[in-house]
Amino acid sequence: MNLEKVVFGFFVVLAATLNFGFFIGDLSDPDVHNVYELFAAVVINLIATVLKFGDRTQIGAVHLATSLVADLQLIAAAIFWAYAAHISSAGLTGEATAGIVSLSGGALFANIVSVVLLVIETVSFQRR
Amino acid sequence: MAGPLRAFWRLVAYGPGERPPRRRIRWRVPAESAAQASATIFLVLRRMRWPLITVIVIFAVSTIGLTFIPGRDADGSPDRMSIFHSFYVVSYTATTIGFGELPDPFTDAQRLWVTVTIYLSVVGWAYTIGSLLTLLQDRSFRRALALQHFTRKVARLREPFLLIAGYGQTGRRLGRTFDSLGRQFVVLDAAEENIEALDLEAYRFDVPGLAADARNPDHLGIAGLGHFACEAVLAMTNDDEVNLAVTMAVALLRPDLPVIARTVSPDIEHRMRAFGTPTVVNPFDRFGDHLRLALRAPATYQLITWLESGPGAELPERGRPPTQGRWVLCGYGRFGQKLAADLRAEGLTVTAIDPAADPDEDDVVVGDGSDPDVMARADLDGAVGFVAGTDNDTTNLSLIAAARRVNPDLFVAARQNRPANAALFEAMEPDALLVLAEVVAKEVYAKLSTPLLWRFLQEVPDQGEEWAARMVDRLCGRCGQQLRTLWPVRLRAASSLAVGRWLGTGTARLGDLLRSPHDRDRPLAAVVLLLKRGDEFVLTPGDDTELRDGDELLIAGEPVARRAVDTTLLVDGVLDYVVSGRSVPSSWIWRKLSGHSRSSSQR
Repeated sequence: MNLEKVVFGFFVVLAATLNFGFFIGDLSDPDVHNVYELFAAVVINLIATVLKFGDRTQIGAVHLATSLVADLQLIAAAIFWAYAAHISSAGLTGEATAGIVSLSGGALFANIVSVVLLVIETVSFQRR
Repeated sequence: MAGPLRAFWRLVAYGPGERPPRRRIRWRVPAESAAQASATIFLVLRRMRWPLITVIVIFAVSTIGLTFIPGRDADGSPDRMSIFHSFYVVSYTATTIGFGELPDPFTDAQRLWVTVTIYLSVVGWAYTIGSLLTLLQDRSFRRALALQHFTRKVARLREPFLLIAGYGQTGRRLGRTFDSLGRQFVVLDAAEENIEALDLEAYRFDVPGLAADARNPDHLGIAGLGHFACEAVLAMTNDDEVNLAVTMAVALLRPDLPVIARTVSPDIEHRMRAFGTPTVVNPFDRFGDHLRLALRAPATYQLITWLESGPGAELPERGRPPTQGRWVLCGYGRFGQKLAADLRAEGLTVTAIDPAADPDEDDVVVGDGSDPDVMARADLDGAVGFVAGTDNDTTNLSLIAAARRVNPDLFVAARQNRPANAALFEAMEPDALLVLAEVVAKEVYAKLSTPLLWRFLQEVPDQGEEWAARMVDRLCGRCGQQLRTLWPVRLRAASSLAVGRWLGTGTARLGDLLRSPHDRDRPLAAVVLLLKRGDEFVLTPGDDTELRDGDELLIAGEPVARRAVDTTLLVDGVLDYVVSGRSVPSSWIWRKLSGHSRSSSQR
């Protein structure tokens, strides 16, 4: 067992699960989307991205690319939340929530690709 | 978009008739290190993983913690900070900017947490920045960076360049010579300090240099072995094995490139010749050849050395080595034996002194030359020449002093091994001085500066002593004691209308070309050494020689003369003036108005 692989797999999957947890639920209902979960998703995604640095294989490059996409989407969602909750006069409305959650939904897709890549990598490794 | 630009470039660089060298050919030159070099950024990223993760975790813990600590809003009622506000506070605290307690004054619990945050984040940043700085100091990282830099510089070269492997004494001499000729080169040397010396040299070009082992074909590859603009490879290291490896690599990977390799061992020379047709320069061998030539034909030797010495060389003195009698030779190693054989071939007798010599051999004194008894046995009083040829400069200098004390009339030849001792040898004033690096550098210069010079030097010994003496006088008379430049001129009818007309008349005299564009009655300070027409060569063609399209000339003279010849061949009016003495207006309108048309100048 390779500890590096454990840590790597842990963070990739955790990033996807947190993202999923935040995303699930009625799109425009602010009550079912916890902002702390969004925060955790951002942090774990950033860590997962850094863990993917420096891998020169083709699959490593795609890994990094998907992670960067997820980061971008989640950070956009976080900024959107900060704007809606603190700056906008209307506050955290259903529309704003829908925007935040759909952005995180995009990130979720990227994270799923990441997990799929992880699975492919694992399977192809064992066949060799 | 690139099409017209490329076409323009081709016109500028090669002229209308010529084709650029074919670039399509892909040589099987390895460039693995180059790919490794481009991965430097990956190295940085990989090493920065943990520091970056630390910073992210510290930020996350600090932010989330701050949102959980009970606080108060502006009215004093209990409230908690939102994630947005706490991220803001942590951001300016962690980066040590510290705006104060925003948006509302903190409670004591919040202050406690912010204190923890401050220390955590300082540790995090210190770790991250420290790792980054360590990485920048890291030897392998710096080497990777240098390699990447070098690879990029070589790949961007667009002018023809030489690849010099080995930047020791010989390499530096060659570098200076080629730089003054305006030739670009790339340097590869195993020793880091030699590459650093490159920065101290005031070259006109930016010379890419890499500290790497030239034995590795991979390193040769990134130094431009596979580059389309690479002209020749020079294997000039002190190590014969390395030179052999370079010669082999070039012969196998780029058989079309000329190689010039230096070696002092006949065995290695033999092995080098097994690969293609490299030019092998053995300085011991060359010195022997030069000495023989100097014995037989001092003027020829003088002329050849002068021309070989490169731009700006002073006229060397014409030595008069004794051609009859006995020579005493100190140091009977590879160099000594070679030299003794050459001297004996010239009909001289040689007595060799060496502590490690074979006592059974004739004319050999076994012993240390600095021992007076040994010197006495060699009988210096009856000798005419003395060679201090050991591989130790101090020994050589003391040997010269000792020999001169015994017999002040000796012709003394000395071997200088280290460049630092040049001043000492100069003060000693030997009649002939061998500097290995110089011998090699001269030979390579003669070979590479222009093919015409090499051809000329090949022809000189056959012309005889008288001719060479006249030639030296003529060069001195025209250009002075300093040989400033040597340059080839190619006459092409297509290069300009006037030149085409002039060459077409059939009465294009060489003498006209060498008239001054300012006053045609004054000759330029230049001498034509060689005329090449097809496969024929004419040495020192006379002024009445008729020039034709496609002729090539090798001219020696002042830089001013070079510019004058260039002007004559480029500007229509100037050529008309030097040929016929008439001032032709240079603008088209004035030419039409003053009645000078094409037909009149074609007369």
